[in-house]
Amino acid sequence: MIQLKNLSKIFRTELIETHALRSIELQVNEGEFVALTGPSGSGKSTLLNVLGTLEHFDEGDYLLDGQSVKGLTDSALSKLRNEKIGFIFQGFNLIKDYSLQDNIELPLRYRGIAASERKRRAEQALELVGLAARRDYHPSQLSGGQQQRVAIARAIAGQPRILLADEPTGNLDSLMARQVMELLEKINNDGCTILMVTHDPDQARRAGRQVQIVDGQLSDAAMYDPLAVKRA
Amino acid sequence: MEQFLYYLKVSWVSIKRAPLPYALTIFILSLGLGVFFANATFYYQLNSDPLPHKSAKLFFPMTLMVPNECSDCPPPRVLSYSNVQKLSQSDIPSAKAGMYSADGYLRLDTKQAPTPVSIRITQPDFFKMFEVPLLHGSIWADDKARLELILSKQTAVKMFGRSDVVGEKILLDDRFYTVIGVLDDWQMLPRLYDANNRGHLEDADQVYMPLETGYDFNYMSNRQSHTYDYTDYRQLATQGRTGALNQLQFWVQLDTDAQQQAYRQFMSNLVADEKKAGRHPSTPNNQLIPMRTIVTYFGGESADIKAFALVTLLFLGVCLFNASHLSLNRYISNQYEFSLRRALGASRGQLQQQMLADVLLMATFCCIGGLLIAWGGVTLLNFLWPANSLFGRWDLTLLLLLLAITFTMSYLVTLYPSLRASFGGLNQQLKE
Repeated sequence: MIQLKNLSKIFRTELIETHALRSIELQVNEGEFVALTGPSGSGKSTLLNVLGTLEHFDEGDYLLDGQSVKGLTDSALSKLRNEKIGFIFQGFNLIKDYSLQDNIELPLRYRGIAASERKRRAEQALELVGLAARRDYHPSQLSGGQQQRVAIARAIAGQPRILLADEPTGNLDSLMARQVMELLEKINNDGCTILMVTHDPDQARRAGRQVQIVDGQLSDAAMYDPLAVKRA
Repeated sequence: MEQFLYYLKVSWVSIKRAPLPYALTIFILSLGLGVFFANATFYYQLNSDPLPHKSAKLFFPMTLMVPNECSDCPPPRVLSYSNVQKLSQSDIPSAKAGMYSADGYLRLDTKQAPTPVSIRITQPDFFKMFEVPLLHGSIWADDKARLELILSKQTAVKMFGRSDVVGEKILLDDRFYTVIGVLDDWQMLPRLYDANNRGHLEDADQVYMPLETGYDFNYMSNRQSHTYDYTDYRQLATQGRTGALNQLQFWVQLDTDAQQQAYRQFMSNLVADEKKAGRHPSTPNNQLIPMRTIVTYFGGESADIKAFALVTLLFLGVCLFNASHLSLNRYISNQYEFSLRRALGASRGQLQQQMLADVLLMATFCCIGGLLIAWGGVTLLNFLWPANSLFGRWDLTLLLLLLAITFTMSYLVTLYPSLRASFGGLNQQLKE
């Protein structure tokens, strides 16, 4: 489903070049739950952003469903993000002036889905994360854990095939973190491929596969795992 | 439509998030637009074409048929009675009229206090050429002298208390006249037929008298007149028709290019004949001024208005720059939301649609603000310069033009900031 071939990413300033990712070779199969781990600054968030097409890469190739994303127009990348990828950010990234329902409907609007269908999907997603009764609330009226659940609801409302989560429990206490992880496992069990950046070894162990990044490079064991299977 | 309403809602939410900077942006842009509009109102009216369907056919003939020798002289701005008669001899024009203006006093009888009035002393074709609307009665049947007047509607109502006063007697100065016609409300803006006298910014005249009657009763022009000898032209009736007193305006209607060419030829032949007869020693200099260019020809464009137009345009530019700067700050503070929307799948095209909703809202507010300030400006200018007050008006064309300018300015104010915001780095913004 996801295939990275010799992919490199360099951040450039006038004075310095930083190799954030070096010759990454990675394959992720449909339905996998992959944890991206590594020390701070190792490049795991950059990798996630490249996978989510939020960042461009400099060398190599990125194939999604067998099709290269290299050279896709901005409009095509937007469509790809909108239809295939769901994002969960560490800081939730909800729009504070909007109700939960409006926040969840946001990606669906840009796909041109009709109002009634948007409403149905948003309600379904809120139901899944256990916040159906609070759909008219605003994010500021919720706890951090609840806000992250709303962010997950927003990510899955579009029924993406890939969910990219950047330290989704980073801002949560352990109880809430566990709830969020259980939710992600449930979503994965339903067939959605998940790539999750995490610092927490316990959470990483709950993923079907761990990929470690150090200094922008994958550790040897994680480079390629064709035998990876969906976690039971 | 549903999506556009959503974009409007997003814009409104964004405004509510930081209302003061937005209000300041609107105020600055409205101020620039308002001051510009106030000036544009006068500029537009002063430069408008009062008879757009006909102005290309109306001409002001001028000729240097004067008794003394003069080389490289421009033709005089006004003509003598005899020259108007000569220029009128041609049947080429579809209509022709000599005219001038004078002052008089109007009353119903000798017991009543006199009311000062402006008189246009002219010929029947004047009403046809300039499409003067008649409310009651008729126009004089021919060019002959007669004790018959035509009144403006306002004058009829002022003197008689009603407009239908055809057949009534009225005293103009020391003679009784019969009212044969009453004009409907009419104000040619600008009054180009009087541009040679710099009278194009003034009100329409109140009383209309036959040209021959004006000469018979010694009505001198209250505008410009000049002579080439020492004759006492106050006795207009006896001296004015044959002497060299120049005080008449003359207009012709030439409907086709062929007519215009033929009339130019007629003027050339006329001047050549006059020269041959020894009545015209100067080098010929004939002009046939189109009505559309007559203000420019006579240098009647207001330098003040032009200078003020430039100043207000520069002021609008400064306001636009400042409003753009404020708008940029606002968009940059909202860049996180732009990036989030892009991350969630909005294309730049969809963000530009969002920007159009922003433009629409801003244009609406700026239009209201700009028109209010412009209205205040026009009222102030009308108060300071009452002579120009006829031109401080808005018509539909002008309003549509102002709306288009407002929309364009709002677009310019929003365009660069929104592009900056939608081209920002996605990842960086979402992390902050």
